[in-house]
Amino acid sequence: MALLLRTFARRGVCLSKPHYNALCRHVAPMGSTAKEEMDKFWSKNTRLNRPVSPHVTIYKWSVPMMMSITHRGTGIALSGAISAFAVAALVLPGNYSYYLDLIHSLSVGPYLIGLAKFGIAFPLSYHTYNGIRHLCWDIGKGFKIPDVYRTGYIVLGLSIITSLALVVM
Amino acid sequence: MAAIVRLSSMCRRGVKPLFYQSPLLSRPVAALQRDHEQQHLPTARIHSSQALHGSDAKAASRHWTAERVLSVVLLAMGPVAYFSPGPVVDYSLAAALTLHGHWGLGQVLTDYVHGETKVKIASAGLFVLSTVTFAGLCYFNYNDVGICKAVALLWSK
Repeated sequence: MALLLRTFARRGVCLSKPHYNALCRHVAPMGSTAKEEMDKFWSKNTRLNRPVSPHVTIYKWSVPMMMSITHRGTGIALSGAISAFAVAALVLPGNYSYYLDLIHSLSVGPYLIGLAKFGIAFPLSYHTYNGIRHLCWDIGKGFKIPDVYRTGYIVLGLSIITSLALVVM
Repeated sequence: MAAIVRLSSMCRRGVKPLFYQSPLLSRPVAALQRDHEQQHLPTARIHSSQALHGSDAKAASRHWTAERVLSVVLLAMGPVAYFSPGPVVDYSLAAALTLHGHWGLGQVLTDYVHGETKVKIASAGLFVLSTVTFAGLCYFNYNDVGICKAVALLWSK
């Protein structure tokens, strides 16, 4: 008997529509929004000075996880670079050509210039291609795990190829 | 066996629904309210911001959509900037880039900054940063070569 129960339970089919689940017919709204609940969680736990449980330090890293945080990291870096450029434009005395000539005069060497160009091109390409991948998820496509990995590798490959192409351009 | 018989008496459709795991049941219940009429059946508590704060939910939903629309617009601006550079594209790019960055950093703030005062300070800081960024880019577009030309010049080195 227990064997029969276990065989069925292992199938674990999930149905989110309440009216299909005879055991849980009643669905009642909570008296608060998700945001309020989250704020309550944080205020209570910071007030009690509780440490945060280890999470990213102990969980096994996966390609999707790394790609996701890289998307965020490249986004922050690109935004920071644009802001730095804008502040420099407002604050620094000379004009753009002046500073370009300044960099030229440093005679850095082709490989270092190539490296710098790659350093600019790669975050931009990666963020753009992964952004397209995100937009595909937003319309509901590509959620199956094999697809997540496949599209992830495509993004990585395209980013490297595009960056290299931009460097030699 | 007896357990199945007892449970199946609760289910109109027989034993099968017993083995369906409802994700609603596994959601943590924040408010421990006892519904006396429903004491014998588990009640799933759900978040229903739509019923309570309709306008907030709609605003959040529209913000989400606006973020995606802006992303697509920015994507399209790439080739446009490459094939027909000029002041119109320069200013549009300045606006689109700044706004996309502002909203993106806003999401980062929401994820990592907690506590009402901290959120307010961080949001104010972000607003100042984005304003200065947009001002700087417009200044550059007006008084200097402009974004498209700047990229072209930088890459020609």
